[in-house]
Amino acid sequence: MKTTDWIKIIGILFIVSVAAGLILWFLPARGKTANIYVDGECIKSIDLTLVSEPYEFTVTTGDGVNTVRVEKGRICVVSSDCPDKVCVETSWISDSGMPIVCLPHRLVIRIEKVSHADDNGFDAVTR
Amino acid sequence: MTKFREKRIRSSLCLGLLLIVFSFSACEGAAGKARTPHTSTFFAMDTVMSVTVYGDETAADEAEILVSDLEKKLSVTDENSDVARLNRDKSAVVSDDTYNVIKTSLELSERTDGAIDITVYPVVKAWGFTTGEYRVPSLEELGELLETVDHRKVDVSGENTETGENTVTIADDQTVDLGCIAKGYTGDAVIKMLKEKGVQSAIVNLGGNVQTLGMKPGGGLWNVGITDPFDLSGYAGSLYVREKCVITSGGYERYFTSENVRYHHIIDTKTGYPATSGLASVTVVGDSGVICDALSTALFALGLEKATEFYRNSEDFEAVFITESGELFITEGLRDAFTPLGNYENKKITVIEHENN
Repeated sequence: MKTTDWIKIIGILFIVSVAAGLILWFLPARGKTANIYVDGECIKSIDLTLVSEPYEFTVTTGDGVNTVRVEKGRICVVSSDCPDKVCVETSWISDSGMPIVCLPHRLVIRIEKVSHADDNGFDAVTR
Repeated sequence: MTKFREKRIRSSLCLGLLLIVFSFSACEGAAGKARTPHTSTFFAMDTVMSVTVYGDETAADEAEILVSDLEKKLSVTDENSDVARLNRDKSAVVSDDTYNVIKTSLELSERTDGAIDITVYPVVKAWGFTTGEYRVPSLEELGELLETVDHRKVDVSGENTETGENTVTIADDQTVDLGCIAKGYTGDAVIKMLKEKGVQSAIVNLGGNVQTLGMKPGGGLWNVGITDPFDLSGYAGSLYVREKCVITSGGYERYFTSENVRYHHIIDTKTGYPATSGLASVTVVGDSGVICDALSTALFALGLEKATEFYRNSEDFEAVFITESGELFITEGLRDAFTPLGNYENKKITVIEHENN
């Protein structure tokens, strides 16, 4: 095939993926809660599906300050005065796959699995 | 190919791809909605209840209203309820729901030879289980009260299909309490209502009575934990079920201690004393909530031997028994569904064969 053909194919694929991306982006997200832990204790819970306007807040621990940014369906640490900035480099998380961890500040941000299971993975407990 | 045809083919390909992407996203969106659980948690019938519905945003709240409605009819403590009026006047016109519950309880009384009996209420009251003013009644007192316990004296023949008014009559010295099957009946009513609304996946927990609708979204079986009667924060095992009721009775649910003796709320209808059958808990699994609710109480009172005989003469339930010595027995139908947990993982599990009659 000619080079121009390839360019056209790639062009179509690009448009299609952009379209898909837009569609998935605007889909209503399922209920998801981001929990923020300092020193193992949950200090804040945010339902990311209910966020309309993005906003930021700071978490101040004895060791420093992290600035957290919340948008619809996702959360990230946008800045931090910790020495390694691993938390900032992690960037956005939008599912329970990986948490954001700031070790120096003992801060963990984790999105809980969409599950209302009682405990131990049960759907209900009879007694 | 001509340039025109080339263009045509390309635009159709483009359109085709876009359509495929659109439909996938739409499916994702729809599937996402169908998997979203909506839970209503509330307090009713003296316990905590939760109704979780997948794919329907209002059904769980409607279930709460349905339960509240039923409670108003069936509650023995609400002085305006059907039951309270019946207890006061000894003969009363009652709602269809109340009538059905009473009728069903009588059928189950017959079936269990009186091991479950709504007329045992005066005895239960004498122990203080309704008021919380616990006491140990004398044998004389219990003897007198036991004479009033007789489900055969409850008259449900007053069914008027013309006016739709159903009359129930009890003996002058009787009072009734539907507590032994009210939750099971309510669970069935909730599941029925949800089905009528087109719900395909739901799980209901009415104070420990678990009832399920369909399978989990995504096609999995429901995983129901069974509380360890000797460690209420632990589990004896789990059951994987599809649209079944899983209902447990155990002395640990409600009891008081007097002079180092524990008295629980499951009264033996023949002795008037808390049933001492050697069982710590019975979990009944079946399609009907009202039957499982009643049988879990009846079998607990009957004990393992009589319960085994009962099982062999029945076709509509399976069960898990945990004895007071911590032994585990399961009926054969649960062999594949049951998994022992915690302290029971290394215990011997005895399977009770059905031996078709």
